[in-house]
Amino acid sequence: MNTMRVSHRLKRWATAIWQVIGAVNIRAKILGIVLGLVVLMGVAATIEVRLLLDQTLTTQAREHSVAVARDVAARATDLTLMRDYYGLFRLLRDTQANNPDLRYAFVIDSEGAIIAHTFGAGFPAGLYDANIVTSNEHHRSVLLATDEGDVWDTAVPIFDGRAGVARVGLSLAAREQTVAAVTSQLLITTIMAAAIGITAAALLTWILTRPILQLVELTKAVTGGDFSRRAQRWADDEIGALTDALNAMSDALAQAERERAEREQMRAQYVTRIIAAQEEERKRIARELHDSTSQALTSLLIGLRSLADRHRSPDLRRQVDDLRGIVGQVLHDLHALARQLRPSVLDDLGLAAAIQRYVADCRARSGLTIDLAMPDLNGERLDPALETALYRIVQEALTNVIRHAHATTASIVIERRDGRLRAIIEDNGCGFDPAALRGDGDLGLNGIRERAALLNGHLIIESAPGNGTTLYVEFPLLASAEESYACEPYSVGR
Amino acid sequence: MPVNRILLVDDHAVLRAGLRLLLDAQSDLHVVGEAEDSRTAAMQVAALQPDLILLDLSLTNGSGLAAIPSLRAAAPHARILVLTMHDDEGYVRQALAAGAHGYVLKRAADAELIAAIRAVLRGEMYIHPALTRRLLEDLLPQTPPVSPWESLSEREREVLALVARGYTAAEIAAQLNLSPKTVETYRTRGMEKLGLRSRAALVQFALDHNLLTPA
Repeated sequence: MNTMRVSHRLKRWATAIWQVIGAVNIRAKILGIVLGLVVLMGVAATIEVRLLLDQTLTTQAREHSVAVARDVAARATDLTLMRDYYGLFRLLRDTQANNPDLRYAFVIDSEGAIIAHTFGAGFPAGLYDANIVTSNEHHRSVLLATDEGDVWDTAVPIFDGRAGVARVGLSLAAREQTVAAVTSQLLITTIMAAAIGITAAALLTWILTRPILQLVELTKAVTGGDFSRRAQRWADDEIGALTDALNAMSDALAQAERERAEREQMRAQYVTRIIAAQEEERKRIARELHDSTSQALTSLLIGLRSLADRHRSPDLRRQVDDLRGIVGQVLHDLHALARQLRPSVLDDLGLAAAIQRYVADCRARSGLTIDLAMPDLNGERLDPALETALYRIVQEALTNVIRHAHATTASIVIERRDGRLRAIIEDNGCGFDPAALRGDGDLGLNGIRERAALLNGHLIIESAPGNGTTLYVEFPLLASAEESYACEPYSVGR
Repeated sequence: MPVNRILLVDDHAVLRAGLRLLLDAQSDLHVVGEAEDSRTAAMQVAALQPDLILLDLSLTNGSGLAAIPSLRAAAPHARILVLTMHDDEGYVRQALAAGAHGYVLKRAADAELIAAIRAVLRGEMYIHPALTRRLLEDLLPQTPPVSPWESLSEREREVLALVARGYTAAEIAAQLNLSPKTVETYRTRGMEKLGLRSRAALVQFALDHNLLTPA
């Protein structure tokens, strides 16, 4: 239970830490590791060396102070016994002169009185009691903390204590200086090591990340549909293997894309040919109906008229009139059929005239109000394939409106803008959701889209349920199209 | 009674025969020649100087429409009556513009042709009644817009100008920094103020009022 809670908490911490570490890039990670290690090593070594050095130097200083004190004690024996105070003073002064670290020295006689000392301005209070040596001890050292730093105070009995005690105080200032000097040296070394480490790490990350970043660029290009990019192989390692694999993938994708494009182009060519053949066939049949069949029927009509003119019999005239009625109706129907197949106006007079005629027929047939505006098409002829496509698109769109839209008004606008031809077919009918309309059974809109695409055009649908429908079909015009409309922004007049 | 001399131009031999039979039966009409293409027709017209040319629009080598000016040049006093299958007003306009004096549909030839020939010979124009209506529609007054452009707000004018130029609602919204919904509102309100019912009517209005001039 308890271990579970601990492990849970550990896991949470690990997650939190990874969130921070994982978010930074590889360069920061490697630099962080190197810098951390160098600093950690440097600091640890400094602390270790300081401790060791401190210990060693302290011990050395103590031994030194014992040696000095014993020397003083040995040389002070006679002087103390002879009570040669001046000699003692000279001894202490000489000793101090020979040992720069010696802070002070003094001699206590067997009675416990201070008979010589190196303090010029009075003996410091409390120093006397700080280190009391007994006569059976060889020496006694005490570390004193004074205003001027640590001092080893060593007391050595003179003449086994019978002549008194010699005491010296050895300063540890040199020790502090040495430790500080070594520490700063170590720190400088650490900083230099860190600098070298950072440089090395930067170089390493550059070597590591450069091919990776290149691979990222490659995959981005592939995602964007550019299969032509290849990554350079930098080294024969795992990243090199990854580079090879990605390059091979790009090759395969490019190949597949090429094949797809070829198939698509072949399909488009095929459809274009089918449509062209269909239009050609319709045109041929319509012309045939017009030129041969209709002419023959017209001859029949005129012949019947001549027959009636030459005979006065009312019976015969009535019969001939009936026949003329029938022939006239057949002629009318044939004409309508030919126009449905392919209106000769489209070939003879062009798109505008053909659409005007078709719209007039639609008005008469459906009762729908249809407004038509073709401001930029003043009888001028366009590319025949474009004219046919636009005519069929308008036909299909109006058929849709009449069949499905439940509209009262439709509108057709054909305009030119920026070197493009745009047909806009609009109705005020029930509308639909264009987003919900994909795949089959979509009111012939796929046919319109397809026809537009074959001539590099495209279809835009704007509609919403209850809000009518607008189809925009846009085609690029050839470069020979009038310049006056090209790339000119239009402003509101007046 | 003077006999009017007629030249038949049609690429259909049987029809020409029928027409000759019909016309020659009339005491005041006489067919003086036939031609089946525009080149022969021009030669015949120059040689025969007929009073009337009965012309089909689809000939073996090219359009009858294109032949009209040269026929007129060959015989300036001859009247030209078009007899054709085409019942599109576009052909009528072009034929009349080229110099024809009448336009008869073949499917009504039995009933109207002789009357039409006589009318044209009298110096009148004759056009098949069903086509006259379509031609005259242009002359009828269009439903007049009730309100002037200036009565619209600045925004409504901006939106309508772009609608008239054929921009999609989404494009207008992007260009004016509005939502498509707002664009739709401005458009509906502006169209109502102008008394227009559709984009095509708006385009026509803009053209009539010269509102869309290149900047």
